[in-house]
This record gives sequence, structure tokens and C-alpha cells, in this order.
Amino acid sequence: MIRKGIEGGSYKPLTPEDISRINDTVLSTIEEIGCQVNSDTALDAFKRVGASIDSKKRRVRLPREKVLELISKAPSEVTLCGRDEKYDIHLGGARVYTGTGGTALYIYEPTTGERRQATLTDLKDISRLVDKLDNIHLLLLPTYPNELPVEQVDVNRFFAGLDNTSKHIMGGVYTIDGMCEVMRMAEMVAGSPEALRQRPIISIITCVISPFIIDEKYGDMIVAAAESGLPVVCPSEPLCGATSPVTLAGNLVVQTVDSLMGVILAQAVNPGTPAIFGSVATSTDLRDYKYIAGSVEMGLLNAAGAQMAQFYKLPYYATGGMTDSKTLDAQSGYESAITNLLCALSGSNFIHDSAGLMEFAMTVCYEKYVIDNEILGMVMRAVEGIKVNDETIAYDLMKEIGPGGNFVTAKHTRRFMRKEHYQPGLSDRNSREKWDEKGSHATWEVAAKKVKSILESPASSLPDEIRKRVLSEIKSIVK
Amino acid sequence: MSENIIELIKENVIQGRITRDDEGIEEDMAGQPGVTELVEEALASGIDVSEIINKGLTASMQAVGQKFETGEYFIPDMLASAEAVGTAMEILKPHLEKSGVKPKGKILMATVKGDLHDIGKNIVSILLRGAGYMVKDIGNNLDTKDIVKAVREEKPDYLGLSALLTSTMVSMEDIIKALEESGLRDKVKIIIGGAPVSEEYAREIGADGYGADGFHGVSVIETMNGHN
Repeated sequence: MIRKGIEGGSYKPLTPEDISRINDTVLSTIEEIGCQVNSDTALDAFKRVGASIDSKKRRVRLPREKVLELISKAPSEVTLCGRDEKYDIHLGGARVYTGTGGTALYIYEPTTGERRQATLTDLKDISRLVDKLDNIHLLLLPTYPNELPVEQVDVNRFFAGLDNTSKHIMGGVYTIDGMCEVMRMAEMVAGSPEALRQRPIISIITCVISPFIIDEKYGDMIVAAAESGLPVVCPSEPLCGATSPVTLAGNLVVQTVDSLMGVILAQAVNPGTPAIFGSVATSTDLRDYKYIAGSVEMGLLNAAGAQMAQFYKLPYYATGGMTDSKTLDAQSGYESAITNLLCALSGSNFIHDSAGLMEFAMTVCYEKYVIDNEILGMVMRAVEGIKVNDETIAYDLMKEIGPGGNFVTAKHTRRFMRKEHYQPGLSDRNSREKWDEKGSHATWEVAAKKVKSILESPASSLPDEIRKRVLSEIKSIVK
Repeated sequence: MSENIIELIKENVIQGRITRDDEGIEEDMAGQPGVTELVEEALASGIDVSEIINKGLTASMQAVGQKFETGEYFIPDMLASAEAVGTAMEILKPHLEKSGVKPKGKILMATVKGDLHDIGKNIVSILLRGAGYMVKDIGNNLDTKDIVKAVREEKPDYLGLSALLTSTMVSMEDIIKALEESGLRDKVKIIIGGAPVSEEYAREIGADGYGADGFHGVSVIETMNGHN
């Protein structure tokens, strides 16, 4: 049984008073401090909706009513479609979905203990792997093909995804031209430009730079993405003590302001654009100011982000599930589990980076996708919680069985055992004797076998005709 | 027609549906005939009893066993299927002799004195019924003399003894001695089981066999019975 889109929200690190106070500070920040906008197209869009602009400093300020008005234009529900409809995911409310994340440069190979550069082939193989891992609900393009020139990266990345999984593909882009080529390809795969807008099988990730900067290139990209009408994610990545106050509350304000500026810009360009509020907020290693991907504070910040998204009624893209470990050890397991769990229980709509990533998000590992798939299965079960009703409380059954009886052969047991209890796909529950008999394998070794069997099974490739057409019309795709 | 009913019996054993009211693993099966109704229908339409047993029941338990091995089925699934076969065998019992089918054997099951635990014994009983044996479960916390009396009266081919506690398993030895004194020991094979019991202990007290768990217990008896 696959659990996805289950309602979370039982974990609330912020009280309603906290949320109100953060919101108030966020609105004051946009009204009084403002945001520096380095993109001309973005600046024009802000001008058109009546923002106050300090041209010399390129500083944009908006009154709080205007901010709330623009936020209200953004849809609170966004559907990210799979090439196969069964993979559609409906972001909004406190429903929880998961996906991969990126963009990593390296692959860690646990068999040799070595790290190597990621190639386009890796991206294809990881897409095939994710296609078959049930607890990962969408594919966010996870690696950067190091061997390609930057102009060819965007279209090749999206093609690798589209041609190897029928789950939804989300990804960052590196050039405006590349993004346009990606959209043209997605239109061919969807059938037409209209079909793509109706069933967006891809979505684009942009970014706002913390604190309070809309960059030239990414500003242009938010504008172009909003014009396209495709779902666009506007995440921000404030780092405690570096690009935001060191306190979690201060970090939350910066993250909320920056992501909201992206959402607002998209609405200013094209009201009604499916814009996703996003957080990649985290802490830093205070000994050398490295970016940290597995801290418990990252879990707290991204869980709190879900509450802010629910407050603004915006779909939410959270970050969780990573580790700073360099290998598949205990740290890799507990950091991934704790951050994923906090995000999920808070009702994060889409937890990005939830599988495969390690080492400050620089590296992915095939085996870790399989391990994280298991973590996510347990996490989603936790989100589901405990159902209490006449049938589950089973008073009549207990009356029938009585003292000293057992429930092994009760029909009730069979009726509920699969629904109520998550069945591991990876964890070992054998007795020691049985485990020894099977080769005394560590988790990652069992995961490696699963990777192998998935990569040997048929891929969810594009239908032949579409594939041919895409390859003949878009020359920059590496065959 | 006959093949159709046999197929349905097989499918319903795999689904663990004893009667029409039972749910299966697949959705929406409740309301359709279960193993009880189908076996009765098969008998009424004159299908050979040995065909029902071999093609309908035995073959389906093999399929269930495979599903258990691969992890698709859990113990409660296995037990539901075995119970369905046990129920079918009860219905077929009066017809066995007439059809020339030799019964697989009679087994008496008991938990020894001082021990109230009977989940293990019940599971083994269900699995043995599912394997086609006639099983009589005489209960738990039984005095040695009552077990001896039951062996004398019921004349089983096998006696299964269960204990969960180290303090109660010692009475297994007493039971074997009492059967020897009553001249019944060579008329019945004794198989013991339960958490504290071991192969070594079985040998020590002079039992004929030991089952490490329910499935092992069934296979030990099958081997003794010459079916494996």
C-alpha cells in the first residue's frame, strides 16, 4: 500500500501567536526594508503593480495590503502531473508528498568507498530508479551532468527525466534559452502547448537570494516562468548566522520574505501563476560557515515553513531528508530520518531532497535512494497517525475473544494488518540465524541488490513516436 | 464445469475464505461463495473427492506456502487458508473411504499441565488441518493422566505436545513415561514443540520428533508420514 498526499500537520513548532508575530515582521520587512531587484524585467513587473521603487538602489518596497493582495492571487492548490496520471500530486492544505532533490555534482559508490563525478548516464539511471521507488512521489532532477557545456545542460537534464520515469519532473534551470527549449520539449511530450498547461508534467525551480535580493538571472527566470504559466517554485535558502540572523525565528522571517517576493513577482507578471512557496532554510557549521544539510534545526525551520505556507494558503516546497555524512553510516540514517519526519509531520506539501542526498547536498548515492525510500515509507505511516473508530478500537472483538484468547486467527486481524502496519521493503527483521544464512548483509548491501534489480528492469521510457520527434527536433539532446 | 469449481476452490483457499461471508485479500469478495459452499457444490455435482483434495486443496496450499516464503503472505493469511482447507476436509471426511482416499492420519494436540499458553498449539493445529490431517485439539493445562486417557480412546497416529514454560516442559517426560507404563508408547509417535523445547531435549526424553515452529512441525510429521 502506497501512502501519499496524506494529511499532516499534527506537529506545530509555532504557536498561532508566533505565526502572527512572524507574519507581522515579514510584512514590515517588505514595506520598510524592501528587496533589491537586480533584474530589469522583474523591476518592471513590480513597477506595474504599484510598488515603491528606489531606482538608484533598485530597492522595491510594497505596502502590506498590496503584499497580501498579490499573495491572494496565487492558487492555494497546485497539481503537478505525472506523464502517467496515477502519479499526479495535488499540493495544498497539509497534504504530504515527497521527492528527490539536487543538484549534486558527485556520486558516492559504497562498494569502493569512492566519490566520482556525476554524468548524464547517472541522471538517467537515477530517474529509472526513482520511477520504481514507491515512497518517492516525484522526480526532482538530482544531478548535474559535468561533461556537458552549460547551454546543453537544461534540455538534456529534463529529457533524461522525462525519458526514464513517468512521475512528475521538477528541476532547476541554468539558462533562459535552456528553459525555453525545455518547455518546447515538454509541449511535444504533452501533445501541445495547451495540453502542457492543462497537465503540467514539468515544473521549474527558481530562487531568491537571501537576504532580500532578486538576482538578475533568476529574476528574469521567475518572470519567464510566470509568463509560461507553468508551476514555478520560488524557494529561498537563508543560512542561520550567515545570510539571516542566527536565531531560527529571524531565519524564518528572511525565508518567508524572500520566498514571498518570488511568489508576488510571479503574480505581478501573471496573476494566478501556480507559484509554490519554498524553503531551503538551514543552519551553517559555525566553525567554518559551511552549509549544513542534516541539522535538526533544518528540520525545525522547514516544519515551521509549512505552518507559514498554510497561514498564507500557499502550496509549500520544503527541504528535508539529507545528511552531511560522507558514507552510508548511522549519521546518514538518523539525519535523513529526523529532518524528513519533522517536515512530514508538519504537513509539508512537498518535501524536496527527501531521498538520495548526502555530504552537504553535493553528492548522491544510488543505494541511499533505496534506504531513504524505506525511511519515507515509515515517515508517511507516521503522518497517517492512529485511526480511532468502532472498527479499529475493536471492543466487540475483544468481548468475543475474552481473557487469555488471541487475535491470530481473527478476521479483524487480516482485515487491518496490511492497512495498519507498514511493511518494510528493506529493513531486516530476520532472526540472527536467518540473517546469517542470507549472508549477514548490512542495509546498504541489500539496497545495492535492489538498485541492480531495478536498473535491470524495463524503464518507463517515452512512447517511441514522441521520443523520435523530440530527438529529431531538438538537436542538442545527447543520444 | 468441474474444472471451474476446482479453480474457484483453489482461488478461495488462497484468499483464505471459508464461507460466503468472509473477506479475501482482494477487495469485494465478500458475498461470493467461499470454500465451504464450493466444496459442497463440488460434491453435489459428483466431482471426485480425490480431485477436490489434490487439485483444489493441496495445490492451493502449495501456492499459499510460496506466497508466505516470498513475504507476500503473513501468518494470519497462511492460517486463514489452512483453516479453509481444514473446513473442506471436515466436509469431505464422510466421503473419503467411499472414494478410496486414504486419510493422512490422526493427530492429538495438547498443552501440558500448568501451561495455559495455547497460541502455538492452535497455530500448529490449524496448519496440520490445512495439510490434510485430522486434528483433535484436547486443550491446555492437561493432567498427564488425561492425556494418556485421550491417547487410549482416540487412538491417534501422532501426539503433539506443547509447552511455553521451562517449568512446565518437564511434564513432557512424565507423559512419555506414563504412555510407556500403559503400553501405549509404541502405538503413537510423539512430537514436541514450544519455545523452551529443543531437538536435544526431544531426544533426551525419548520423543520421536521436534518442531521448531509451526511450519517445521508440519514438515516433521509429513516426513514421518512418508509424504515428503
